[in-house]
Amino acid sequence: MNAAESAGPTAALTEATTAALTEATTAALTEAAIEAVRAASREGRLATLAEVLAALAAGGHFGPPEGQAEGQPDGQAGNQPEGQAMGQPADHAGPAQAGEEAAAPLASDTASMLPGIPPEVLAGILAAQPDLASFQSLSGQTVYHAPDLLSRTYARILDRKGSPLVLLAEEIRANSRDYPRPVPVELFEAPPFGLTPEEIGHVLQALAADPAHQDITFTTTPAGAVYLFSTRHLERGYAAFLAQRAESLSMNP
Amino acid sequence: MAATPGGFSGKVLRVDLSTGKISTEDTVEKYGDVLGGTGLGYRVLWEEVPPGVGSFDPANKLVFATGVLAGTGVPCNGRTAVTTIFPTCWPRQLVGSGHMGGQFAAKLKYAGFDAIIVEGRSERPVWLFIRDARVELRSAAHLWGTGIRRASLEISQEMGADCVVAAIGQAGEQLAPMAIVANSLSHSAGGVGGVMGSKNLKAIGVQGSGAVKIAGDKGEWEKLIKFHLSILGGNNQHVVPSFPTPQSEYYNPGSRWVGEPGRRWGAAEPPVEITGNIFDLNRIAYRTNSAAFFLGEGAWRHTVRGNGCTACPIRCHTVVKVPSVAAKYGIREVAQNTCTGLLFGRSFFKRLPGGMQGQAALEACMVGMHLADDLGVWCNYGQLQRDLQKLYYDGLLKTKLGAAEYASIPWDKYEAGDPAFLFDILPRIGERRGELGQVLSQGTGGLFTHWSIPEETWARDHNTLYWKQGHPKHHANEDDGQCGVIINTQYNRDSQCHSHSNFVRNGLPLAVQKKLAAEVWGSPDAVDGVGNYTPMNVHKARRARWSLVRKELHDSLGLCNWMGPWVASPLKERGYRGDDSLESRFYSLATGQKLDREALDRAGERIFTLHRALTLRGMGEVDLRAQHDLTPHWVFADPSGAAPFSKGAIRMDEADISRGMDQFYEVMGWDRATGAPTMETYARLGLKDVGADLKARKLVPGDPA
Repeated sequence: MNAAESAGPTAALTEATTAALTEATTAALTEAAIEAVRAASREGRLATLAEVLAALAAGGHFGPPEGQAEGQPDGQAGNQPEGQAMGQPADHAGPAQAGEEAAAPLASDTASMLPGIPPEVLAGILAAQPDLASFQSLSGQTVYHAPDLLSRTYARILDRKGSPLVLLAEEIRANSRDYPRPVPVELFEAPPFGLTPEEIGHVLQALAADPAHQDITFTTTPAGAVYLFSTRHLERGYAAFLAQRAESLSMNP
Repeated sequence: MAATPGGFSGKVLRVDLSTGKISTEDTVEKYGDVLGGTGLGYRVLWEEVPPGVGSFDPANKLVFATGVLAGTGVPCNGRTAVTTIFPTCWPRQLVGSGHMGGQFAAKLKYAGFDAIIVEGRSERPVWLFIRDARVELRSAAHLWGTGIRRASLEISQEMGADCVVAAIGQAGEQLAPMAIVANSLSHSAGGVGGVMGSKNLKAIGVQGSGAVKIAGDKGEWEKLIKFHLSILGGNNQHVVPSFPTPQSEYYNPGSRWVGEPGRRWGAAEPPVEITGNIFDLNRIAYRTNSAAFFLGEGAWRHTVRGNGCTACPIRCHTVVKVPSVAAKYGIREVAQNTCTGLLFGRSFFKRLPGGMQGQAALEACMVGMHLADDLGVWCNYGQLQRDLQKLYYDGLLKTKLGAAEYASIPWDKYEAGDPAFLFDILPRIGERRGELGQVLSQGTGGLFTHWSIPEETWARDHNTLYWKQGHPKHHANEDDGQCGVIINTQYNRDSQCHSHSNFVRNGLPLAVQKKLAAEVWGSPDAVDGVGNYTPMNVHKARRARWSLVRKELHDSLGLCNWMGPWVASPLKERGYRGDDSLESRFYSLATGQKLDREALDRAGERIFTLHRALTLRGMGEVDLRAQHDLTPHWVFADPSGAAPFSKGAIRMDEADISRGMDQFYEVMGWDRATGAPTMETYARLGLKDVGADLKARKLVPGDPA
């Protein structure tokens, strides 16, 4: 059991808030916060803290937020494009930090949204939920999801969709490392990646030119199929073998 | 084993075609310790068919046997094993089984029978009518000469729509060793059709109005079935979808779980779009589309639906509709099959316009199914097609076949990848016309003999995939290193074992596979990454043993070893574990006789050992290690000269495989020197009488030859 689990949601509340909230209110708040994350996961989206706060406000838990920042969500979460978290900029900057689950600094406008509910309190509540997961998105914000509805793998793909270069590089590396296997280039044309062949081509060119991604490379099977892999995790010869094998599976019933 | 109130139907039907005598015997009393299926078939052959009897000899018997779990609600229970002296086993015919799914097993049990033992030979063509306890031999004069579809239709019209017909086509009638029997039109058992033909038995039609009783608590039973459904993946128990999905942490582009939300069965009327949660138990049937997996994206628009066996939600027989073939070739626009049956026509060609997933490939599949599933031709797991390629492209045919016959064959169509070529070659084989038809219909061993081709010619050529005794490899070193090799040494035909390959191909990351391997087989080293093989160890030997025992167990319970075992699952909350005790839990509830996993596995081992005993007796040779458990040369060679155990090499090391056989024999309780079971092993498995018989024949290790 980790620290957050042992402390429980109530302990995560600040002293002042704890004093202001009854136990029943806290339980309701926790339940509503979880449901807000689960609702987003159900719809194939990642949830930011701002979205959860907005959902709580929309649910009447603490009354309507005063002075809601311009452009902040109003609870109509479904309007966001797939793969883009609420309040998350479309263009991600900076590399993904693989494996992180820690909360990122809260946005100042989020903090001012509901002055009676410190965002850190809500972050603490969410962090304490064993059935929820969070990670720092490419935008730098912490995003939440319910892995039983939206797997960690899929969540990462969604987060990276705004940055095809990171998306391809990290997906190729993960496949080379974990299974291990190279992946057919066509993989990235299909959902949830949904890139055009032209986009994929541009990304691969960019990767080839980027010193940080020199491990990303490809092998071509005798039949001409292109498979992508990372030399950090797969030797070239083995990747070539695995690519040929993958291609032969439909001939080996 | 005492009589039980559930699972078994209770009676075995015996039909003597020579005398017309029809009788029954008690299943549990006589065959309970071997469960059913192959176990029952092996027992009948052991007790009733003397060594040396040939496949088409009237003294040979043909045993259609289902299992305890067939006809129940257990998922994937539709199997019937057809056991006999196998006609394509070369150079000596030995015990073997064909296996068919479909609806035959369930219907037979609903009629009150666990198995049918067919013996003797009818003077005239007959078919076997079974309507519950009413069993008759009826004239098949009007059916003789027809294909499987016509025969099935005629019998269905005579019996009623609720019957199931298992029939042979012209190939079986002509005593082709390469012949099938098929029920429900596309569910075939290979290699046994000619044995039916030799007995003048055209078909078996079955209607059953009964049910299979379950002895245990019904609530527990239903709960266990729900649990089993929850741990199912897609085809071949691939537990990871081929596409990333919100519901799964893992995906594998090579998975046979291809049914992704948004895909459409485009030829359904109206088309069906796959929607919803792919983990929903009511949507399992959407996961598999064999046509799309084997023939590529384009097959989705030709998909009508999935078809399959009794109580199986996987539906691996994909129904495809290709209207263009009706106009182009004058054949039915709808066909269905899976795996090698689906690919029957495509597999003949080395090259096809548009590639192996193009339109010509699809049309070749349609023509192949149309012809082969009607003529009743068997492909011997693709060896038939590879044999023709080898004969033709190596120039052997030109030298072996008479010039006139050679010239009569449209080789231009063959080379061009024209599916119309199949209209020439398949009837030649099915009707055994000409020298080529005669030879190919005999199987690979037959062509070695007929044309005096040394077996080595095939065994040294990796492209043939030839293994031994006239048969090819079936998931060997290319999938599973030493484990695959050992399994492929054990049978008298291709091994047909999927216990091992379904695990290594399940799509989970290697670390997860190794974690499960440690739990099931005692060490993560029981499994290697494919093409990253490590030297043999005892855990691999244990996994080989487990794989074979589970295969026989499934074949004897009526379960599908193409789908099972179920030791991995798609369930993250279970750490992707399946359940290694599923079979014993089902068995215990069905029969009311509580057997734990070890006890039921012991029954599987008994059955497998009976197969070994039959092989020993049939060969009259105790040294199966040297004479039977062979590995072809190509397994030990790499085209690029890569060393064994180098990454990316599937070639094996001869000394290492020899050590592997040592370890395998040891975990089986067999003699290391000969690979023959010891008297202690026979006794441990309740086969003392079998051991004694073999001892008298000097076929037990340690006996002076």
